Amino acid sequence: MALELLVVDDSPVTRKMVRRAIGLCGLSVGEILEAGDGAEALTKLAQRKVDLVLADVNMPVMNGVELVERMARDPALAEIPVVIVATPMSEERVERLLDVGARAYIAKPFRPESLREVLIQILGNKGVADA
Amino acid sequence: MPEASPELLSGILTGVLEDAAFLFTEPIEEPVAWDGPVVAAKLAFESTQGGTLRLLGSEAASVELAANMLGVEPSDPEAGAQGRAAFAEILNMIGGTFITRFFGTQVPSQLGLPVLEPPGIPSPGPRTCAVAVQTEGGARLLLELDLEKR
Repeated sequence: MALELLVVDDSPVTRKMVRRAIGLCGLSVGEILEAGDGAEALTKLAQRKVDLVLADVNMPVMNGVELVERMARDPALAEIPVVIVATPMSEERVERLLDVGARAYIAKPFRPESLREVLIQILGNKGVADA
Repeated sequence: MPEASPELLSGILTGVLEDAAFLFTEPIEEPVAWDGPVVAAKLAFESTQGGTLRLLGSEAASVELAANMLGVEPSDPEAGAQGRAAFAEILNMIGGTFITRFFGTQVPSQLGLPVLEPPGIPSPGPRTCAVAVQTEGGARLLLELDLEKR
């Protein structure tokens, strides 16, 4: 079954870079939705559920930490895993993100194979069989 | 903490360019001879020591970066339109890699936001060290580090 993903980043270039990495990671991927900040991500998720969210941290309007917290508190969204895709940061900041509910952290820049590894770790074989 | 050296900067710059933009480079001598308008961006950081990273490149370099990050040809209008944004994003990744590699991940570090300078021929900035590279396509990039003395 093809994966449906949401990429959340305020930089259109980075969103496209992440899309490109998703396309190169060798998994079967269906639609990839995009949002420019956490608030827009919540709006999109209210309309359509996805298998996983890839989100930056530093964004205007609503940052990645708040997005993860809001999703964790919402029973309709709490099951959707969030992977933080952000510039390298201190262990303390990574731990805080994981504490509030993020499932994994990938430092930018990253190779498509690193993304594949994390997606398989979280989603299991979904997206692998059809690839 | 490693020494703030051209070798450290070179490893960070080439690694980020390879992973983010699939761009392979080779070192070139300074001063860099710019053959046209230059794109420049600055990024402040703060940790146990503060400072600034500054990335400079030819316009051709910014277009090449954007094209590779977006997966389009350099002649694609989108690559030209996103060149400066791509340049800022690359500097952001360089900044994050620098602070975790230089200061380590055990201490709190903070990155500012990349600030693009007005287009033109920029004057050299204050620097602790710098490294210059050239892409396979001939585009040139210069990364400067200015560490505050404390």
